[in-house]
Amino acid sequence: MDIASSLAIVTLAALIHASFQLSVSVLTLLSGHAIGAKHSQGKVMRLTFGYVSGVGVMTLLALSFISLIFLHIFGTDAPQFVWAVACGLLIGVGLAVWFFYYRPGKGTSLWIPRSFARHLSDRSKATKSSAEAFSLGLATVVSELLFIGAPMIIAALVLVGLPAHWQLVGIAIYAVISLLTLFSIWVLIGSGHKLSTIQKWREDNKHFLQFTAGGALAVLGFFVYVCKIVSDVSGSF
Amino acid sequence: MADGDTYIIKRKGQRPTEVFDRTKLHQSITAASLSARAPEGQADNIAHAVTNYVLEWLEQRPEVTSHDIRLVATRHLRAHHPDAAYLYEQHRTTL
Repeated sequence: MDIASSLAIVTLAALIHASFQLSVSVLTLLSGHAIGAKHSQGKVMRLTFGYVSGVGVMTLLALSFISLIFLHIFGTDAPQFVWAVACGLLIGVGLAVWFFYYRPGKGTSLWIPRSFARHLSDRSKATKSSAEAFSLGLATVVSELLFIGAPMIIAALVLVGLPAHWQLVGIAIYAVISLLTLFSIWVLIGSGHKLSTIQKWREDNKHFLQFTAGGALAVLGFFVYVCKIVSDVSGSF
Repeated sequence: MADGDTYIIKRKGQRPTEVFDRTKLHQSITAASLSARAPEGQADNIAHAVTNYVLEWLEQRPEVTSHDIRLVATRHLRAHHPDAAYLYEQHRTTL
């Protein structure tokens, strides 16, 4: 697979990651509690920036860790069955996202274990310092691994096959793109937008986001399958 | 617990029952109004009005659930500040 195709796959995987909503929900709750607790706008921005940084760092660490494991086990070229399993996982998670991502009813509740959701909700209320917000960001990525695991695995498989300096570029691209949604929300909060408007938009468009994320996972799985398995078997690409 | 207190059943009985606390409701309504970018004074006034309304509603009820309180408070808050009511209502279903 050439470098351009590899980076395109990493980019699409990161875009799918960015479309998942758990970290956005926690950011919305965190900023709501911070504004409600009469913190200054500066403090609200510091707390939310701490949270976004935590998410970014954990995303970098998780992707690097998965890549390192693959590198140790398979070297720079993973066997085809591993690619096939990863593609199957992408398509499977894509279908699961279509059917199970949001809980039925009002709001934007997700199908994550309720104990995780309660913990994140309670912590977002209790967070008073940037360091706590940073650790909340780290915990959010771990709670979201159920959904972001699949795009991360495929990105890691692609990254280990790249030359060393392109691996760093790929990881940076993934981290930056996966944070785009959070940064957008952070900018909206900083510019004084109402949380209710942001939450209403999320609720009104939740089925569109769900369909897009699930569809994109399936498309990515199919694309990688064709790029890596079908083309290797037929000897082209 | 004194006579005349209203008891709040929390999370369908999963958490211990509590006596209704006016301050707690006032604070949560104020926080929701501030989150909807209402000025501090307005948020406090809204919280007073909503809390008084809920207290009136509770007068003849010895036991209610926290969900009931949320519904009644949201209904009244909506008349004062729809955005705050939306955030207050959504709080438990955001995550």
